[in-house]
Amino acid sequence: MAATIELRSLAKTYGFGPQAVYAFGPADLTIPSGSFVSLLGPSGCGKSTLLLMIAGLLAPSRGEILVGGKQVSGPRTDIGIMFQDNTLVPWRTVEGNVALQLELRGQKPSAHAGRINELLRSVQLEDFAKRRPHELSGGMQQRAAFCQALVHEPDTLLLDEPLGKLDAMTREGIRADLQTLWMKRKPTVVFVTHSIEEAVQLSSTVCVITPRPGRIECAIDIDLPWPRDLDVKSTPEFTDHVHRIQEIFRDYGVI
Amino acid sequence: MTMASSEKPAPAGRLPAVLLRLLASLERSWPFVAFFVGLFLCWEWSVDLFNIPAYILPKPSEIVAKGWADVPRLVDYFWITGMETFVGYFLAIAVGLPIGLAIAFSPLLRRTIYPFFVSLEMVPKIAFAPLFISWLGFGMLPKVIIVVLVCFFPVALNSIHAFGSLSDELTRFCRSTGAGVWRTFWKVRLPAALPQCFVGFKYAAVNATVGATIAEFIGSDQGLGFYIQIVTGNMRPDLAFAGIFFLTVLGLLLFGLVTLAEHLLIPWHISVRRH
Ligand SMILES: Nc1ncnc2c1ncn2[C@@H]1O[C@H](COP(=O)(O)OP(=O)(O)O)[C@@H](O)[C@H]1O
Ligand SMILES: [Mg+2]
Repeated sequence: MAATIELRSLAKTYGFGPQAVYAFGPADLTIPSGSFVSLLGPSGCGKSTLLLMIAGLLAPSRGEILVGGKQVSGPRTDIGIMFQDNTLVPWRTVEGNVALQLELRGQKPSAHAGRINELLRSVQLEDFAKRRPHELSGGMQQRAAFCQALVHEPDTLLLDEPLGKLDAMTREGIRADLQTLWMKRKPTVVFVTHSIEEAVQLSSTVCVITPRPGRIECAIDIDLPWPRDLDVKSTPEFTDHVHRIQEIFRDYGVI
Repeated sequence: MTMASSEKPAPAGRLPAVLLRLLASLERSWPFVAFFVGLFLCWEWSVDLFNIPAYILPKPSEIVAKGWADVPRLVDYFWITGMETFVGYFLAIAVGLPIGLAIAFSPLLRRTIYPFFVSLEMVPKIAFAPLFISWLGFGMLPKVIIVVLVCFFPVALNSIHAFGSLSDELTRFCRSTGAGVWRTFWKVRLPAALPQCFVGFKYAAVNATVGATIAEFIGSDQGLGFYIQIVTGNMRPDLAFAGIFFLTVLGLLLFGLVTLAEHLLIPWHISVRRH
């Protein structure tokens, strides 16, 4: 079971003096174990910055992050992370890229071949296991990267706009995959997006982040039933949530 | 295609697979071949047409005939210049790659030696050739050193660049797995750096024969550079061209070797895939 993640007056400033960029915060937030939390905000509001701090890959300028009550002070290895640009390497096949996560952790991929195959099958990539990333479409690459982030079975997933560069149809398919996975294994998911609909559809909680310097304007619990397929999007509850969030961004002049 | 033809015998009246493949490659490369043949024919004819004396510009047929007669000497010199070039080139890689690696990973070296190297890059290395020859004499050693000098900078500077430019994402990905320095190096940093390293290797390969030749011009008693200089002094441009031909073969050989290594080591890279 994943531990609760707490942000306490967390803030990040890049650089010093006159060149300093006040990128994020201060913000307080509690991400309960097993929840699906979206970080929703316009580009440049500090979503990636926040995610990197949660991963322990970027030191906060102020405040702290607690995981299970303990302060994060270095890279967390108990998480699965998908960066805004995928981390598939061109010299390995799809299968090899997924295995890279295990090899870097000092594990033998051959011991986990079954799990790798099963993962690839779950995102319909089994026929492409021996292909290299450049032979895949954008959507397939993202799905491969998804497998890479999952193969060591982390119970916390940090996903930075995993669907950002994909077309609407592909997005819908991968959203469904992601939801299925979350419902089955109940990892804690922190999901960065700038799509209001996507956030409402997938999340148990949507954190609305203001334009830079990003602050968490509000955390909205979405209590629609699961699984949330396309039909959910036409329910009044769904559209209410979407409208409410749109209002907030309109007030900030983002949309 | 080759598998199919080895499984069942080729039907009668059809050409064997080897010949077919040869024809196919000829079909692809004929414009290039035709261009070259045309160029040499033009050369051959214009020497007659404009009455150019042979001591200014010999005919290609003449070059082949006279060069052929002098092949034993040319081959001897080919080995000598080849030795200088290859030894110098691989020494440059053996020294340049580790130094590049060290500079890429050491902040101290990056702030001291790196700027020094960058400024040295601007110095035409070949200008040191007369000095080395006056210090070390006419033998092969000064030539090897000059080849090393010419090849070292492209190798080292490209290696620094190669090992110093892993993307933020990949760096962070590796850190998030908890992998140590060595594991990260072998699994990610090294393969990611190889394409840029090869840019340096190829650039150096092109320059290696230039270095050896000029070094021989300046002071030597053997080698293709020496040969070209001597026969030119004797008003024998036909032999000079024959020497140039052998130098070209040497250059192609080295470049071909590096390209082969590139195909074997980074077949996944776009620069290789395109071919
Ligand atoms: N390494 C960095 N150095 C300086 N400024 C940065 C750096 N990374 C991000 N920023 C700035 O911080 C702000 C937030 O960036 P980011 O977290 O990438 O936003 P988002 O992911 O929400 O688009 C932006 O204004 C960006 O210019
Ligand atoms: Mg971002």
